[in-house]
Formats: sequence, structure tokens, C-alpha cells
Amino acid sequence: MISVARAIVGEAFADEVVQDAWISAIKALPKFEGRSSLKTWLLHIVSNGAKSRVRRENRMISLDDGWQSVSSDKFDNTGHRIDEILPWEEATPEALLANEQLQAAIEETFQKLPSLQRAALTMYDMEGLKMEEVCNILDISASNARVLLHRARTCLHQCIDKFQDK
Amino acid sequence: MIKCKDLTEKASDYLDGNLSLRKRIGLSFHLLICRPCRNYLQQIRSTIKTVKVLQPKEKGAYDTCPLVKKLRELSRKQD
Repeated sequence: MISVARAIVGEAFADEVVQDAWISAIKALPKFEGRSSLKTWLLHIVSNGAKSRVRRENRMISLDDGWQSVSSDKFDNTGHRIDEILPWEEATPEALLANEQLQAAIEETFQKLPSLQRAALTMYDMEGLKMEEVCNILDISASNARVLLHRARTCLHQCIDKFQDK
Repeated sequence: MIKCKDLTEKASDYLDGNLSLRKRIGLSFHLLICRPCRNYLQQIRSTIKTVKVLQPKEKGAYDTCPLVKKLRELSRKQD
């Protein structure tokens, strides 16, 4: 919930939005019909609260979050890779996460992701929500959501990849 | 003609099945002939699985006291 609130309304108002969302949810609980999961329902409540707050604060949501794609010096002028990419020695999650330093680095990278990227990744990759739900909750288009998700995954991939070189 | 750069940019869409048939066939053909891109895609796949297993949590000291106070008030009103 805090992740969605931060993504929509920003750090300053996120706590307050989540508190209000809990209160609204408890009040509305008897009306919950179970048409979606409780998790999705709660995320919609926090999302609606955050969107109203954005309107009140007249705040703009920006996707321009200082993103830097895979460095262009990895490709030649025809768009083909210059370097060979080798498979990771440890490719399963269990093997990768056996390295505590890598685990800490992934967590740190996750924390540093821009809030919209973090929310998209959390809902789609970690919580298993459908892309349509992610778009509705964050109030963004499907193409924007896919861009955010890809950026988040790329940052985490770069983090893991650095450890493979060590 | 699909290039490695296209695959890098479209890796998530390829894995999530969000591409047109034409684009998907183009990328699949590129993957057949390009080992570095196959490895890259496999790494992205491993990244997604790893994050799912690790489940990193949103950090930040979330102060629950104001919420508890509001919930108590709400409960009193209902009594």
C-alpha cells in the first residue's frame, strides 16, 4: 500500500494517504463483495485516495525519472552487441541469493528505484497482479506501465550482473 | 532486421508476451542466431525470478501510531 501511495502522491503524503485508506477500507468492509481479491481492493482504495490527494495538491506525475538505458557503447553503429554476454554461473534464484552481499545489493537497488518503477515491479512481478490492474491502480497507460517495469528489471539485472564480474 | 539493441529494449515485452506476432517472430529469429542475446534474455528471466523469491520490502519508518489512534476513535464511535 505504501508503495502505491508513494508512486502516486510522493513521499511527503504517502503515510497519510495509507492511513486514510485503512480507515476507508475498514468502514467499507461490509460492502466488500469479493469481486476482486482483498489485496487488489485495498490497493484500489489507496490508489483512489492518492489520486484525490494529487488533484488537491495539483501535483504532476512524471515518468521522466532520470532513466539511463543500457549504455549505447555496448552496441556497434548497426545496433549489434560488441561484447560477448556469458551465462551467469549462478542462474537460479536460490544460488544467486546464497550470496548475502548480492542479496543486500538487490535490496538496496530496489529501494533506490524511482517510486513508480518500484510500485510497478512490486505489483506485477512480486504480487502477480495483471497489467490491467497495475495500470488502473497507478492511473497510467499500459505502454507507460511496461516501460516502468522494463526499467526496473533492467536496473536490477545490472545490479546482479555486476556481481557476476567479481 | 532485428538488432541486439531491439532485443535489449523489448526483452520485457517479449517475456511478458506483449508484442505483435510479427515483432515476436522477428525477435525469436534473432534469438536463434544470436547467443549473446539468448544469454541476456536468460539473465533477465533469472532477475525476475530472483526478485520474486527475495521479495524486497519497501523501506521507510512507517509510523503506525496515528493510524492506531484513528482506529480507536472509529471503534469508540461504533460502540
